[in-house]
Amino acid sequence: MFSEKIKALSKIPRPNLPLVNLKGKHPLIDTAIDKLALREYDLPLHKSEDSKFLVLLVGLMSFLAVLAFTGAFTLSAMSARWSSGLENKVTVEILAETREGLLRSDAAVKEDTQKIAKILSQSPIVKTVDIMDEKEIHDLIAPWIGKDLSLTDVPLPGLIAVELRSGTKPEQLAKLTRDIEDASRSANLSTHQDWLADLVRLTGTLQLVALVIAAIIGITTITAISGGTRTRMAIHREEVELLHLIGATDRYIARQFQRHALVLALKGAVAGTLSGLLIALIVALLPGNSDSSLTPQITLGAAHYIFLLLLPLLAGILAATTARFTVLRALARMP
Amino acid sequence: MIKFENVAIRYDSGPDVLQNVNFTLAPGSYHFLSGPSGAGKSSLMSLLYLGRKPSSGKVTMFDRDIGAAPREALFPLRQRIGVVFQDFRLLDHLSAFDNVALPLRIIGRPEAEIRSHVGELLDWVGLGKDKQSLPPTLSGGQQQRIAVARAVIARPRLLLADEPTGNLDDEIGYRLMGLFEQLSRMGTTIVIATHNQQMIEKFGHPRLVLENGSVTVIDETQGKKIRNVF
Repeated sequence: MFSEKIKALSKIPRPNLPLVNLKGKHPLIDTAIDKLALREYDLPLHKSEDSKFLVLLVGLMSFLAVLAFTGAFTLSAMSARWSSGLENKVTVEILAETREGLLRSDAAVKEDTQKIAKILSQSPIVKTVDIMDEKEIHDLIAPWIGKDLSLTDVPLPGLIAVELRSGTKPEQLAKLTRDIEDASRSANLSTHQDWLADLVRLTGTLQLVALVIAAIIGITTITAISGGTRTRMAIHREEVELLHLIGATDRYIARQFQRHALVLALKGAVAGTLSGLLIALIVALLPGNSDSSLTPQITLGAAHYIFLLLLPLLAGILAATTARFTVLRALARMP
Repeated sequence: MIKFENVAIRYDSGPDVLQNVNFTLAPGSYHFLSGPSGAGKSSLMSLLYLGRKPSSGKVTMFDRDIGAAPREALFPLRQRIGVVFQDFRLLDHLSAFDNVALPLRIIGRPEAEIRSHVGELLDWVGLGKDKQSLPPTLSGGQQQRIAVARAVIARPRLLLADEPTGNLDDEIGYRLMGLFEQLSRMGTTIVIATHNQQMIEKFGHPRLVLENGSVTVIDETQGKKIRNVF
């Protein structure tokens, strides 16, 4: 009875890769199957218990990689926005007090402001000059002094927003600074470079951290795939030896592991990448993700999306290459 | 031409399992290999199918000194050898068809040719209806026929078979022996390891007799008994 059941089972067609079922339908399909080695694995790799673990691991790693790269791209865009937003912009402040600490009259400050604005307007490197009115200045300093304070209670400095012509050289700017300081001892020109440099340095560091995280993810993936491949080599040692005895070269055997790793990595990476992109999209659409120039805004460009969508392919190549080299190195130690 | 000169095998630092083995197998020759259990038959077979290198002495196969050949040089040599292992060593997850097709795929034959040749051979050994069956679902005799088909499918220049008819009924056993005869006439060197005295006598080919780790060649067709001849 039992042997009959076993024999009946043997008649059930075995599951195969879809393309394998097309064998014999057309010579071109046969050639493709042949070249791509899309038939059944010669080694029972697809039955390895750790296959699901590898898919899960690559999936998680791809998910984290998408988030890390999204972070890096966002910071890069933010840094560029800050830089371009303040590029060629300088501010001239006419202090409300003398250098000795004495308060100056409102009229003196206004007079100096007009004088400096005239000098600025005549400078060949200046594109626009905008004297900020009292309300604008009050709005600017309100966070520090409070909105309820009357404008007459505190002396306000004079502020002039200046846009320089592009291509302004540092020595030209230095000359303008000297001219302004000569015209009024209370005037001083700020280029924003100091604090802007700090911010750019900060975003650069954060970007680097994101890229290091992506690199760690890559190294972890390589290590896991290499370890998994060595385990599968040990599990299927007898079959590998048999293939060798039949005449299989190391490269032939490595191709089996390579293809297996490629398929598993692609499965995991596609799922992980799409999940990561979904999360990034949700975060981008959150109401808090405003367009303030100082808060991170997830706005990925087409090139970024293409790069992120190519991650599964990169993961597949990484997995296949890792498996190949691991197997070739292990086989070289066999008789 | 296969030539063994003063060949010895030892495992690690143990004693010699084979010692001072000398013989020559001409292309197209047909030999039975016999001897008591533990005489070193498996070790000699592993040397012949290039599963290992000699501990000392010289083995020449297909004009290559096997002991001196680099690892990579052994792959193409193994592709010229067909082996029927005593325990068959089939790949259980592959169908009968794919098991037999393996040597052809390894040497890169086109799928169309593989389909035609493998199908034909499986029909010939009586497994035409079991092409897609997995080995564990087949009987010992059927598995043995798959193993024989796998060994001969690529027309090897050396065919080694360890008890190739042990699980077969007389009819299919003699049919396979006939196939080996045919391959021999086509130039394949045949070495059949067997304890089946009846078969040895019926086919009357020269014998390589293993005893206490050394080989004696007995060629009764020419009325000769030669020890360690090459």
